[in-house]
Amino acid sequence: MKSASDLQTVVEMTRSIPCAPAILPKLLKLTEGSSADLGELEMLISLDTGLATNVLRTANSAYFANTQRCESIADAVLRLGSKTLYRIAATTLTGRWLVHPVRGYGWEPGDLCRHSLCVAICAEAFAKTTHLADSSTAYTAGLIHDLGKFALAYANFSALDEIASRVPDDYLTWRDAELAVLGFDSAEVTKILLQNWGFPQNFISVGFFYQKPSEAPEEDRNLVTLIHASKHVATQLGYGVGADGFYCDPDEAALEAAGFRDDEMDAAIPEILATIQRFITPEGELNFR
Amino acid sequence: MSEMPELVEEQMRTVIVGVADFKISTDALTYLATYALGSCLGITFYDEKRRVGGLLHAMLPSAKLHKGQKVRDCMFLDTGIPRVLAAMVRAGAKKSEMRVKVFGGAQLMATDNFFRIGAKNIDMFYKLSQEFELDVAAWEVSGRVNRTIRLNNFNGDVIVKIPARPEFIR
Repeated sequence: MKSASDLQTVVEMTRSIPCAPAILPKLLKLTEGSSADLGELEMLISLDTGLATNVLRTANSAYFANTQRCESIADAVLRLGSKTLYRIAATTLTGRWLVHPVRGYGWEPGDLCRHSLCVAICAEAFAKTTHLADSSTAYTAGLIHDLGKFALAYANFSALDEIASRVPDDYLTWRDAELAVLGFDSAEVTKILLQNWGFPQNFISVGFFYQKPSEAPEEDRNLVTLIHASKHVATQLGYGVGADGFYCDPDEAALEAAGFRDDEMDAAIPEILATIQRFITPEGELNFR
Repeated sequence: MSEMPELVEEQMRTVIVGVADFKISTDALTYLATYALGSCLGITFYDEKRRVGGLLHAMLPSAKLHKGQKVRDCMFLDTGIPRVLAAMVRAGAKKSEMRVKVFGGAQLMATDNFFRIGAKNIDMFYKLSQEFELDVAAWEVSGRVNRTIRLNNFNGDVIVKIPARPEFIR
């Protein structure tokens, strides 16, 4: 598959990105009655890549949007209200979850959610220490950074097997293999999805440039580099990392320009890990209690 | 390693070891498992005669770099390994008859200055294996793969799973 129509197929097949069904009962409880705890709702939604994506997309849709764009889950929760939030969650969560291992990437069910959550937690931690971006924006960007891979997996293309088989012998990075085999890469899919869903430009830049932050527009480069760094740290932690995970090329120039230092990132890991372990059990289950 | 009778296989239970944690088992009908090592190291300890097994999942090389932080011993190789060794002996294992296998330490693409936890962990494990005179029977480390491992406490085999590849035994 190398044509633009295949790229369109991927986009069409992911009108609703699957979310982890495990959070549905908790979400239901939170949205019961008229006095929902919006802070807790925000936290719950933020833990799930697909759900956070849909909530932001809906908050920025023509129906709900006002002159100001929603850039954080907190804003979206306030704008949408608990009942709408639950409706979005229920629609998104039911029946669309990947219940089988994903070919090519070798993901087990839930792996990309686990990995994205780790990237988000790293991004939030680094945002607080580096001040390269607002921590909520960084968290959300971490959740949605690799949606294109989610979309490709959801479309379940046999070409994913070919990509896997050609790394690293024919191509050094997974992205290069994607470009050669598909004619486009997952970052392009992410970009189109985020554009279609009305995401702000800085999130689109993250999706498209996070593998090469040096190439990002200057106004978004700090956030993109932050996600680049977070992605690599989260990959080293291992949670939800598939066959593609370690075949990416760190952009040292961008990291250095943004002031990242290896020892400082390593020093942050114990705290990051403690946060991750609040939400992911040793068995790999997402834990929302 | 000894052959696993089918009946034994059916009775095996699995105990999961989280990141920065370890578990010991004296029950031969147990798998000690840990998921998604990434750049962490998963280290198995096994006394075949007494069927005492241990598994450590350590994230970073040395606690010395994290002084003043609220951390757990098993997050680090230099504090985790002595702790597991002591617990193995307390559980009845003999250090002189323990065989050790090490897994993980995956590395990102070549970079001189960033994201070198895998390499640092492997270097530190090598140093500690000499310091503690460990009998290291298998090194399944480095590379660009995420490993999940299970120690079979019946025979000391370690089953390794890598995404998109078939399982194999070390």
